[in-house]
Amino acid sequence: MTLPSRSPGGRRPLPAVVLVARREIRVRLRSRVFVGGTILMTALVVIGIVAASLLAGRTTPVRVGFNDGSQALERTFTATATALGANVTVSDVADIATGEAQVTAGMLDVLVTGSATAPTAVAKAAVPPTVESALSLAAEAARLSDAGLSPAAITSAMALVPIQLLQPPDAKDTQNLLASLALGILLWIALGQYGNMVAQGVVEEKATRIMEILLATIRPTRLLAGKVIGIGLVGLLQLTIVGAAALIAVRLTNVVTIPALGVTSILADIFWFLIGFLFYATAYSAVASLVSRQEEVQSAVAPISILQITGYLLMYAALPNPSGPLATVASLLPPFAPILMAVRMAASDVPVWQVGLAAALAVASIVGLTWLAGRMYANAALRVGTRVRFKDAFRG
Amino acid sequence: MTTAPQRQLEIDGISKRYGQTVAVQDLTFQIRAGELFGFVGRNGAGKTTTMRVVLGVLAPDAGAVRWLGQPLTLETRRRIGYMPEERGLYPKMRVAEQLAYLGELHGMTGVDAREASGRWVERFGLADRRDAELQALSLGNQQRIQLAAALVFGPDMLVLDEPFAGLDPVAVDVMSGVLREQAQAGLPVIFSSHELELVERLCDRVGIIDHGRMLACGTVAELRAGGRERRWLDVPGAPDGWETGLPGVRLVQTDGSRRLFELDPGVDDQVLLQAGLATGPVREFERVEPSLGELFRTVIGEAAA
Repeated sequence: MTLPSRSPGGRRPLPAVVLVARREIRVRLRSRVFVGGTILMTALVVIGIVAASLLAGRTTPVRVGFNDGSQALERTFTATATALGANVTVSDVADIATGEAQVTAGMLDVLVTGSATAPTAVAKAAVPPTVESALSLAAEAARLSDAGLSPAAITSAMALVPIQLLQPPDAKDTQNLLASLALGILLWIALGQYGNMVAQGVVEEKATRIMEILLATIRPTRLLAGKVIGIGLVGLLQLTIVGAAALIAVRLTNVVTIPALGVTSILADIFWFLIGFLFYATAYSAVASLVSRQEEVQSAVAPISILQITGYLLMYAALPNPSGPLATVASLLPPFAPILMAVRMAASDVPVWQVGLAAALAVASIVGLTWLAGRMYANAALRVGTRVRFKDAFRG
Repeated sequence: MTTAPQRQLEIDGISKRYGQTVAVQDLTFQIRAGELFGFVGRNGAGKTTTMRVVLGVLAPDAGAVRWLGQPLTLETRRRIGYMPEERGLYPKMRVAEQLAYLGELHGMTGVDAREASGRWVERFGLADRRDAELQALSLGNQQRIQLAAALVFGPDMLVLDEPFAGLDPVAVDVMSGVLREQAQAGLPVIFSSHELELVERLCDRVGIIDHGRMLACGTVAELRAGGRERRWLDVPGAPDGWETGLPGVRLVQTDGSRRLFELDPGVDDQVLLQAGLATGPVREFERVEPSLGELFRTVIGEAAA
């Protein structure tokens, strides 16, 4: 007798749900749909982020080279530019000719020459206004210092006028809305894809008649649970890969200032994917169990698909005003919450109670749907041939 | 007197109806361990329903199925090797992996399941296709894998719905060999088939079912004993209709001067012979063993009458 062990070699029989889920994972991970889909989604997300960063113009700092006496401005310039919100790097340039060659070649954005009190600058194209202001202010500070003012007096003389914003910078800028929308679309695609995968899987087992062999060894509810868990984990893995790629791309391109692409937002997305997947997977499996052929799947799942498409359209309607009544109400309803709440959370600050309420309602409806789907599936699983009526599947 | 529960699969009074249609009506029979039981009947007679009830895939309206005297549970049912009428496996799953998966679903450990899967794939000469998708195999080889799926976990019983349907002659021999071997290993084996010659040759006992009722059940010899005796008689000079008037004798078939008679139970065949001799010289007098096919038609015909 061999000792029981938990080794992957499998020295003890595994629970049926685990076996079913494991089969789903193995088969799906090997499929071209998964590999191709992951590559495609990752590519789209990374391209989107790079595009966003280019639009935002924050990818590369403005490179400013200082020659000769103007090098004394470097520290003040950097500090002032930072205070003004510009991203700059400074470097020493040995002689003007080299510096101008670098500017022409695009290796340097601005070349500052001359003395610290009267510098002149050369640039290939337009210089961002914040950089220009920072340079002027740095030169002014140098002149004041020349005139004998103490550093403290200069600082106080040149203090920037603080402007208090009555409306704090809302994340409602265009980039963030676009990023939120992109996340919503991705989430929507993933939910549709994995929900349909569950539907196809249920029908595959009916169509190939393996259902009868399976149900002679395992309870229908466990078969269904294993399938949903397996496919859900595959979806989670795919989204995690895409999410990780997104986070890396964000780090590399410096678009961290877009809140919709932050860690919190992406984690929230994965959470809402799980909720949405459980909701739609159970709904899809219930209606899919009514038919026996792959050709019938699309018409059988139509009511659920319509709900999903409604969520998609609501996303567009709600996004311009993520805290408005339409967005708020729709994002609390279980069929729409996974996408709308995720998008709202990315696009703006959502009160915690709303997130909690949406999650609670969604979980409650998932519990109910699971009961319903298990019942319908168990009753309809072996009825092959004509479409089973909802009433019959429900009553058994 | 107490006896150990018989090693037999008992089908005890099961009934199942679908709406107004009676599929199975108060059906009772047993399959003993080590016995090959052939289940014959017309299409729609209730064979598949019975097997599905045994497997627990269908719940009967009444009656019970017992193994070793105990009603079947999910645990004991997992020990049944089953081949449904509608064949089905995952078309896109690899052969060996699929068998191992089914082995594990029937309660094997991963190690044992992979070992058994490899053994059966090899046994059926498909070792070089073990990593092929099932759909890439020929139909005949898919059938072999289907049988392997019923055997991979070392079942306690075998229930096979039309295992011979669609098999080529070589595959029929393989299937017959495997079923014999499993019965000899001590399993109760029940299978349904329309191939009555095959059933007659292969089975220890036969059950004939029609309209959901068991019409006859027993060894072929027992069924013959319950049926009517037949005699071939060749009296070349006899006029037509010479036998009319003999009680309990009926002409079934004429072949030139040879005639096949059927005798009602209890009728003495010597009376027939005497009557023949009375009309002329008897060249041939032969006792005919009815085939299972003939018994089947007789039994079904009587039930309908």
